[in-house]
Amino acid sequence: MSAHEAAAELARRALALADGDEVEALASFEHAALTRFANNRIHQNVVERAHSVSVRVVVGGRQGVASTDRTDNEALVRCCARAREAAVHAPDDPSFPGLPDPGLPDASFVPAAPDGPSLLDAFDADARAAAAVAIIAQSSERGLTAAGTVSASVTGIAVANSRGIDAAATRSAARATVLSMHETGASGWAAWLGPDAASLPADSLGDRAALLAARAVGAGPLEPGTYPVVLAPDAVADVVDFLGYTSFGARAYHERRSFVALHEGEQLFPESFSLLDDALDPATVGLPFDFEGVPKRRVPLVDRGRPVGVVTDSYWAARLARPNTGHALPAPNPYGPLPLNLAVEPGTASIDEMISGIERGVYVTRFHYVNIEDPVSVLLTGMTRDGTFLIEDGRLTKPLRNARFTQSVVEALKGLRATGRDRELVGTEDGGATLVPPLALERWRFTGSTG
Amino acid sequence: MRDIAAAALDAAELAGASYADVRVVEERSESITVRTGRVEGVASSETMGLGIRVIADGAWGFAATAEATEEAIRAAAHEAVALARAAARTWRFPVRLADAPAVRDRWRGPCETDPFAVPIEEKISLLLTADEAMRAEPLVSVTEASLDSLALTKVFASTDGAFIEQSYTEVGAGIAARAITDGEVLTRSYPNSHGGQHLQGGWEAIVAMDLPGNAPRIAEQAAALTRAALCPSGTTTVILDGSQVALQVHESIGHPTELDRVLGDEAAFAGTSWVRAADLGTLKYGSDRVNVVADATTPGSLGSFAYDDEGVPAQRFDVVREGVLVGFLSSRESAAAIGRASTGCARASGWNRIPLVRMTTVSLEPGEWDLDALIADTDEGLLMETNSSWSIDDRRLNFQFACEVGWEIKGGKLGRMVKNPNYTGITPQFWASCDAVCSARHWQVWGVPNCGKGEPMQVAHVAHGAAPARFRDVQVGVAR
Repeated sequence: MSAHEAAAELARRALALADGDEVEALASFEHAALTRFANNRIHQNVVERAHSVSVRVVVGGRQGVASTDRTDNEALVRCCARAREAAVHAPDDPSFPGLPDPGLPDASFVPAAPDGPSLLDAFDADARAAAAVAIIAQSSERGLTAAGTVSASVTGIAVANSRGIDAAATRSAARATVLSMHETGASGWAAWLGPDAASLPADSLGDRAALLAARAVGAGPLEPGTYPVVLAPDAVADVVDFLGYTSFGARAYHERRSFVALHEGEQLFPESFSLLDDALDPATVGLPFDFEGVPKRRVPLVDRGRPVGVVTDSYWAARLARPNTGHALPAPNPYGPLPLNLAVEPGTASIDEMISGIERGVYVTRFHYVNIEDPVSVLLTGMTRDGTFLIEDGRLTKPLRNARFTQSVVEALKGLRATGRDRELVGTEDGGATLVPPLALERWRFTGSTG
Repeated sequence: MRDIAAAALDAAELAGASYADVRVVEERSESITVRTGRVEGVASSETMGLGIRVIADGAWGFAATAEATEEAIRAAAHEAVALARAAARTWRFPVRLADAPAVRDRWRGPCETDPFAVPIEEKISLLLTADEAMRAEPLVSVTEASLDSLALTKVFASTDGAFIEQSYTEVGAGIAARAITDGEVLTRSYPNSHGGQHLQGGWEAIVAMDLPGNAPRIAEQAAALTRAALCPSGTTTVILDGSQVALQVHESIGHPTELDRVLGDEAAFAGTSWVRAADLGTLKYGSDRVNVVADATTPGSLGSFAYDDEGVPAQRFDVVREGVLVGFLSSRESAAAIGRASTGCARASGWNRIPLVRMTTVSLEPGEWDLDALIADTDEGLLMETNSSWSIDDRRLNFQFACEVGWEIKGGKLGRMVKNPNYTGITPQFWASCDAVCSARHWQVWGVPNCGKGEPMQVAHVAHGAAPARFRDVQVGVAR
């Protein structure tokens, strides 16, 4: 039985046992494996087989949720009873619109994904170890030290509700990452994410990181100040993910914690910047429906520089009188709906062209430990790591030590100079994935440096 | 659980493991969230599974399954051994482990009133009362209140003969008031931000927090922040409240002294450390006033247990004594790598994860100062309270923290409130600038239930005892 068939069967069993005015079951079956290496050897090699079911019971305007990872009938009955008990004791919520209905155009039936061999059947322990060995070799043969992961997961997700939603799909993806380190502390990074492990370019991935590490040797400090930057896709993904989290969910919009609520429809950014959420793009890794079983829509968020939308789920669609875009997270969800498959529309510039247009600036491979200081302006702070370089007269000249930035993303995007033509998929195999090109920005504020 | 553990060890040995341990974990949790007058969620969860960790051909393998059937256990054991053998091709030397006693014991954490026995209506009522009290302040437009309970039982058994059963209960609660103007979100939280205070204990701990009683004060402060001046930029003296000192310890002392990070095992994700193994006993980490202890026996702390997830007894040991690095947080494997005994810090976040080196209760020991006296002793500076943002580099050197609220200190007195205060620094310089720590009267253990580390990600529950402390020449108001 495939992962989504197993999940669908579990969801339907739970649904049949649940008692309420309306009921919903969300089930998952996961098989995940991760081969982790450091100091040029595989030091952690793990696999997990897990499943769970979460039941939402609605009694009048009251809701309760309970989950379990036991699949026997007794456990499912107990889980359904706990969900009902929670619902019965919750206060009435007049704003609850009810569970989504497949009869509505916003929540049509989603057919299960076609069955097929599991990604992990072929990408087994030996295959993952072989990939890790190939990645490590690119560093070890050059006197460098490699650390990273080779991983894959296959997850069947199913949602069924008493109004007739019955959706199931399997999400599977593989990922590899590598940090290559020189004895001086200089480092380089490369990562790959895709739906097909056979496409994993182990040798070239290891080579990219090792080349970057070698090039980063002898780094000097960056004087704090505002510089033009070229952000590589990994760095762009970090920034865009925070943008999505802070600004493009219906709850943040409604509570006016999002700049979209303040500037909707305005020409805030250059016309060359467009951002959308699209889980159905074949280049990404995502589910075709959300955790309420509602089909995911392609949602323009910034259209040619104008903030134009936010994502919704059934509750926030009703509350804001907007269409349900299919972005519910599992209930109960204090965050509200969120975009999990963001994509920046590509431009036309090559990375060399983007660098060549800068007289003096900074190239950033990747950020580290980014956090939010102000959600409205998306003021972020974080560090660079694994390949930061000075740009002088249109080319990379000197490696730089890791630098701290404190920068509003909204302000930075107003100064978008160029958008790369080649996009990369950045994310994890079991979570959201972000499809982004490199970006050249006119101003990025570096506020400190290490050492 | 005993039978499951025994079956897993048998299966692992039959599959060819030279060493195996198994953890069978059963967990029950409940969470209730209220937001701006609406009960957003009443949710409960039950989970049970087992993780089998083996050494075969001299390398590690680990397989976890939610199915506790004989067949699933046997399959997991075989898979763990296959993973170890696949990893072994990259090992030049076999895994070495520091010794651990083969203990057979049972332990239960403190809990007076089982939180799961308290009616849901009572919990909801408590949160709604606090929420309503915050919303009485007109400028507060978004409020949050949450309550979490967890009960966990786990069995650890190893082929060395250990068999340990531990169970404990955790509770956590918090409230937050947000005054949102066009372009600004100003937040005050209690007892702490990011979900409140968490600890080992029962319903009595939630009642003691007095969420409703503190709601008007934080709502008032959130409103006052809308009228406050922006935190000034410059270099000044900073006094941090205990909860922020706790996070400062967490990020800039706890993580860098995890021995697996020091040895490079976490390099690609969480990063390495500015501390080297050879620095033990000589590295000047901070001023003489900086004394940091890791204590897994602290009563009622999220970081407490009787045995870690490798069966090593809980310990209390110095990490920093009079400013000098004297101890590492370690596991059996990392300790063996530097020829020492494990300090009992191997912890897994669940049945489906391997134990990693994690913090326990890593605390800055109290000093002598009364907070009022410390403020009176400060000519000019800022008092900052309650974390709102945190960031630190991959070697745990360059950090930047933001707090919810600050107050100027002028001539030994608290002055006007400032909004969006932040500060930045470099770990050893910052701790070297610590010239005063408040006394035991101000010291308390702060739970951190969201410590992320490892791939696949593990979220650990750790804690830090801390009192307000003073730091000189700190850069504040970054990008303000």
